[in-house]
Amino acid sequence: MLVELIQSFFAGLGWPWGLPEWMQVGLVILAKIVVILVPLMVCVAYLTYAERKVIGFMQVRIGPNRVGFFGKQMWGLGQPIADAVKLMFKEIILPAGADKLLFLIAPVIAMAPALAAWAVIPFGSEMVLADVDASLLYVLAITSIGVYGIIIAGWASNSKYPFISAMRSAAQIVSYEIAMGFALVGVLMAAGSINLGDIVAAQQGGFWQWFWLPLLPLFVIYFISGVAETNRAPFDVAEGESEIVAGFHVEYSGMPFAVFFLAEYANMILISVLASLLFLGGWLSPLEGLLPESVFEITLLGSLLGPGLHWLVVKTLIFLFFYLWFRATFPRYRYDQIMRLGWKVFIPLTIVWILVVGVMIITGTPPWFDVA
Amino acid sequence: MSFEQIIFYIFSAILVAAAVGVITVRNPVHAALFLVMCFITTSALWLLLEAEFLAITLVLVYVGAVMVLFLFVVMMLDINIAKMREGFTGYLPLGALVAGGTIAVMWYVANNDYFNLTNMPPPERLAADASNTRMLGEQLYTTYVYPFEIAAVILLLAIVAAITLTLRHRTGTRYQKIDQQVRVKRDERVRMVKMESEERK
Amino acid sequence: MIALSDYLTVGAILFGLSMAGVFINRKNVIILLMCIELMLLAVNINFIAFSYFLGDSAGQVFVFFILTVAAAEAAIGLAILVVLFRNRRTINVAELDSLKG
Repeated sequence: MLVELIQSFFAGLGWPWGLPEWMQVGLVILAKIVVILVPLMVCVAYLTYAERKVIGFMQVRIGPNRVGFFGKQMWGLGQPIADAVKLMFKEIILPAGADKLLFLIAPVIAMAPALAAWAVIPFGSEMVLADVDASLLYVLAITSIGVYGIIIAGWASNSKYPFISAMRSAAQIVSYEIAMGFALVGVLMAAGSINLGDIVAAQQGGFWQWFWLPLLPLFVIYFISGVAETNRAPFDVAEGESEIVAGFHVEYSGMPFAVFFLAEYANMILISVLASLLFLGGWLSPLEGLLPESVFEITLLGSLLGPGLHWLVVKTLIFLFFYLWFRATFPRYRYDQIMRLGWKVFIPLTIVWILVVGVMIITGTPPWFDVA
Repeated sequence: MSFEQIIFYIFSAILVAAAVGVITVRNPVHAALFLVMCFITTSALWLLLEAEFLAITLVLVYVGAVMVLFLFVVMMLDINIAKMREGFTGYLPLGALVAGGTIAVMWYVANNDYFNLTNMPPPERLAADASNTRMLGEQLYTTYVYPFEIAAVILLLAIVAAITLTLRHRTGTRYQKIDQQVRVKRDERVRMVKMESEERK
Repeated sequence: MIALSDYLTVGAILFGLSMAGVFINRKNVIILLMCIELMLLAVNINFIAFSYFLGDSAGQVFVFFILTVAAAEAAIGLAILVVLFRNRRTINVAELDSLKG
């Protein structure tokens, strides 16, 4: 469909020659990337708005409510746009002792993996940009590059607080990546595949068939590790505004700062989508198996209750709400407590549960593992 | 020139340039970052060779963990760079000679007709649904299962060795002892005193 | 078409460069460790290229083991380096001479 659309677009422009094939392929891929990234960026912008609103309500405040569109206030919906415009026009300050190239490249390195990982995220049984065989591994590898953005930013700033923050965050992210990896090992054992689409397909059969139940400890550990990986509260010692000012981006201003900000929120969305794909059945409908088959064949209601992109969005929003909820409720962990939690609680727990999953698979424990 | 060739030459050029960067730059942090670049470009070359699993693992293990460790150590140690560079130019000719000789010999072997390496036909491209991971896994868990176990033991050994080497107990620092905190009884902390009320004077 | 010899040449250049690196950076232990990693990488490229062109997966399995051992080596090497720095306040090879008779 996209191919014809693009071709008719160029024909409409009065392009006299047919496009060569490699250009057609390239344009289709480019169009798909735009289709994924533009909504993502809008989501990131409005996630910051949602964060301020949600935390505002939790703390019995109102949150941003002034900036709107067309002279109307509209509950402050224009706030993210205004923030973005403000940051764009701010001066980029280069600290005197900074490593200039690395200082400017760091936000890009933080941002790029957060976007590149979306290449393999499936949005439906056929809706995926690149159906890579080892897509889960790809996501894990790509997101592990993101830590360089923080390390390089902290080091290149040539300033004490950013450096402390960079060291903290590097150790924290590497530690929690292990727990996260082990949690994912459980998932791919249960699904028998490392392709995200296949993992979702393996959870077919309704709410009680999804992996969150047989892999409950891994599910909880995955999401908590995800919160730690994205340096969000209560694991935000890398930012720690009350102790090290704002961590690795103390010296950043203007657009580079905005890019760090975007990267953090894009990573939050990524972790949430992954959690819903791996443990909550992605685009599958929770009503499957609960309602009779005939319900799903009703024209409009059936497609609404049946599997579809909207379920993935709803599940992702639940996880994003958890992120905001955590930030509003939990006090920040002390650094040694974070490390203890990661190394002495999560890693042993995941290893034990992987063993349990193995036993469940071999014995074919119903109702999850008796089919294969 | 085909598309694959263009990709190959671009990534090879970046790889070689980054390798030159690793060995020549003044600052060890820059050297480590150049090494990261080497690993990423190499992983792209491995993708051309249909070794997807290893290409992704290279990024995951090396870029995501080992090089972070390197950077961590390089940044934490307070190294006198100027002193480290002593003798850099002095050994440059010797290094260049040895490296040049090695490369020349290996290049001669690789581009010689004797071993038929220049025009060896590449195998058929695998089908789109062929799984490199599955293939590697089948090999590892059947034919190479004992080496695989030994590799696991080596990794365990590395963990234990690294921790025992760097672990140190500082005297004088106070640690929070959580088990003791949790096990505290009321009687150990609170003492109820019964006494007559006194009149204020 | 990319020939096998092209990949081998890239591997050879990488190996030669890392060897030169050992020569010219012989005082800095960290760079030496990095050069060793680079050498192993060059070897791995050759293994994978041969594995692809000969259609034999043993090469890839071998690379898998090299990656494992190299990761272990890097971890222990860096641990030793940290202990060394803690005790001697230097990682300059020329100054590590306390074993001199």
